[in-house]
Amino acid sequence: MSKYQYVPEPALVKGDHDFSSLTRLVTDINLRETPKAWYLAMMGANALLMLMVVAIGYLIWEGTGIWGLNNPVGWGWAIINFVWWVGIGHAGTLISAILFLFRQDWRTAINRFAEAMTIFAVMCAGVFPAIHVGRIWVVYWMFPIPNQMAMWPNFNSPLLWDVFAVSTYFTVSLLFWYVGLVPDLATIRDRATDKIRKVAYGIFSLGWTGSNRHWWNYEKAYMILAGLATPLVLSVHTIVSFDFAVSMIPGWHTTIFPPYFVAGAIFSGFAMVLTLMIVARKIYGMKDIMTDDHMEKMNIVILVTGSMVGFAYIMEFFIAWYSGVEYEKAIFMLRATGPYAWAYWAMMTCNVFSPQFFWSKKLRRSVGFTFFISIVVNIGMWFERFVITVTSLANDYLPSSWDYYSPTIWDVMTYVGTFGLFFTMFLLFLRFLPMIALAEVKAVIPLADPHNYDEETNEYVAPKVEVPEPQSEKV
Amino acid sequence: MSHKPTITDTLQFPADSKVPGALFGVGAVGLIATIIGYFLDADQFFFSYLVSFTFFSGIALSALIMVMLHHITKSSWGVVFRRISESFTANIWIWAIFVVPILFGIHNLYHWSHPELLEYGTEEYDKIVSGKSPFLNSTFFIIRQVIYFAIWGFLGYKLHKVSVQMDETNDWGLSALLRKVSAPGILLFAFTVAFAGFDWLMSLDPHWFSTMFGVYFFAINFQAFWPIMILIVFYLHKQGLLTNTIRQVHIYDLGAWFFAFTVFYAYIAFSQFLLIYYANLPEETLWYYHRMEGGWQYLLYGSLIFRFAVPFLVLLNREAKKNRMILGGMSALVLIIHFAEIYWIAMPTLYDHGFSFSWMDITAFLGLGGVFFGLFFRQFKQNDMIPKNDPKLEDCLSKSYHQ
Repeated sequence: MSKYQYVPEPALVKGDHDFSSLTRLVTDINLRETPKAWYLAMMGANALLMLMVVAIGYLIWEGTGIWGLNNPVGWGWAIINFVWWVGIGHAGTLISAILFLFRQDWRTAINRFAEAMTIFAVMCAGVFPAIHVGRIWVVYWMFPIPNQMAMWPNFNSPLLWDVFAVSTYFTVSLLFWYVGLVPDLATIRDRATDKIRKVAYGIFSLGWTGSNRHWWNYEKAYMILAGLATPLVLSVHTIVSFDFAVSMIPGWHTTIFPPYFVAGAIFSGFAMVLTLMIVARKIYGMKDIMTDDHMEKMNIVILVTGSMVGFAYIMEFFIAWYSGVEYEKAIFMLRATGPYAWAYWAMMTCNVFSPQFFWSKKLRRSVGFTFFISIVVNIGMWFERFVITVTSLANDYLPSSWDYYSPTIWDVMTYVGTFGLFFTMFLLFLRFLPMIALAEVKAVIPLADPHNYDEETNEYVAPKVEVPEPQSEKV
Repeated sequence: MSHKPTITDTLQFPADSKVPGALFGVGAVGLIATIIGYFLDADQFFFSYLVSFTFFSGIALSALIMVMLHHITKSSWGVVFRRISESFTANIWIWAIFVVPILFGIHNLYHWSHPELLEYGTEEYDKIVSGKSPFLNSTFFIIRQVIYFAIWGFLGYKLHKVSVQMDETNDWGLSALLRKVSAPGILLFAFTVAFAGFDWLMSLDPHWFSTMFGVYFFAINFQAFWPIMILIVFYLHKQGLLTNTIRQVHIYDLGAWFFAFTVFYAYIAFSQFLLIYYANLPEETLWYYHRMEGGWQYLLYGSLIFRFAVPFLVLLNREAKKNRMILGGMSALVLIIHFAEIYWIAMPTLYDHGFSFSWMDITAFLGLGGVFFGLFFRQFKQNDMIPKNDPKLEDCLSKSYHQ
């Protein structure tokens, strides 16, 4: 026997499922009575949402002075939260588009879920640019609308590119999500017994009958949208990184920012998917579809992207020293040892060190530990944006203008409130839409492969992997 | 399952092939001619050598990361190509001797190695270079080269050896060992390649710096790796080898990767340029400034057009990736422009007043290229041309197009 054990690929769907049992497992959730616990959760989420509405209302009434911004720190929690939420919103399209192009069949278990999360996270992110302008009643000045003052947005500014990038990303993600939903909505329509559901799901399933021609069009549309969405995964956070990197602020202006931000975004997005997935699969009993094997694969992505982020931190630090530029050197020393050292080391611990536990297979497969790390990662990624934004501004070129930045209660309320928006949307999604891409999961189970049926009797024969006996002697 | 694919091709590269010998011959002639050039113009010799050395090392390094990524992702698409990549990686420890001339040429190549720059109070004193001297000094430079090649050489040798062992013993468990080597290997690779990029190319201009340069160095090499694979496969097919094993559907995947990393290259190269251009800080823009005048700018425009725009537009179409003429043409184009881009990075250090091209650039390329591919074919013919007992081989052979 060999020293090393060959382990065949685990089945994507666990348990003894066939097509109809999968249908019941996923769509019963949308068809049954609304559970009481859902109402309770919804109330909690709505309370947080109200908190956000109050915080924003007061902001519009009083102005951005209620935030903790000072001179020199003119960018604070608003942009931190914006970048954080947009970053989280990267996992969904990565899973659905890039992993689709890579033919990673395991994505089918989590893509619907992750895409929904993406859309809601981008909505939360969109709140901040909209409200931060101070005079919200002239927010339309952000758009190139002809006006008698001849005022135009500055097309040289990455902040404007951001508006285009994020809105394109949101639109394509939403379309992609919806196209994927159509066959599953039709399934619910067909199973629904009451009039309201039949009509509502009927409208949104666009007359889907599952005919060959429908599937042909569906696959084409899906492929094209995947191709379009793939560059968008990269472009959104690249342009977010440009917001910082095109400037001359030490610690912001560094060329590695684009790929480093993208890696960080995927890192935090996967962590958020895991956090939600671990809870949802327990509550809704989806462990046969969202298996521990899926969790392990996602943990590997977290390990890889976390290490990429670590690579970028090290490169930045090294080049800051190597550049010989005094201000670059100073800002990195200040980050690690200055007034915000606590934030810097929180970031390092959460983002670089904590994912390294996933080198261990045992920890990758531990549900509790994964849940813990998935939250730690998102705390770390929040601190990353805090460190980048605040430290570089608070300690700028002139020491006489340095100041310490602290948020106010309104900053905190707005941020916490966005969770209300996020969870409200997410709970609605869980209640009314199939949380698993049912048609896609069905397509990857062995029952769907015509090779697994006997040619003559047409009976299903489960596929087997025959592992050859190793030869001790060389042939 | 009744439809097990079988291999009908011979798996041995013809043992009596004259190819390695001929390549070594070209290599020897090229190297001897280049060495003669050393006595005529030492600076030119070392710069020409560095450009070609970087070009071929980049192929071997890209092959190494490709093999490691293939193992770690348990991929099946590229099993039929893996032995080609492995034959490159298995030679890295031998290829390491070709870094020695660069070590002898530190003084000619790298301005930072001049000790008078570090002497405070003299006219030559350079404050910036002197600040970097803990990193940029000849001793540490040599130590770093030893570390890089020790890591790459070990990984490449080991991955090839275990893979060949799997051919012989049919022991699928070895795929677990290959993953165990690859996982930390990828991490080590990331850092060593980034720093090799800093050492070989970025430090030619010791004042300039870019945090992206390591990624950029990887991106140019990795894009140029796919053309090499495509052309090798076409060559094998022309010899009548593996024609039924490596099918069009497999080559299509190489084309898809080629396309993907064409975009990746453009993304990285453009981001680096845009950020430096936009901030317009003198310590950063000067590097581009020197490379955008005196005729050097045409190489930059050439990269933009022939390394990104043309292959992007051509390979975007699905049918183009199934067409051998187009794929071969694009491969040749990108390889030429890859050489031009390394040339564009390195040579303006020597010729900051204008474009210059020497016969030594050609002889060094032929010399190192001859040896590099001679070593490759010598290695390649010793074992089966595909990992015949790989657990994923069956999946790979029964591959079909996704519609």
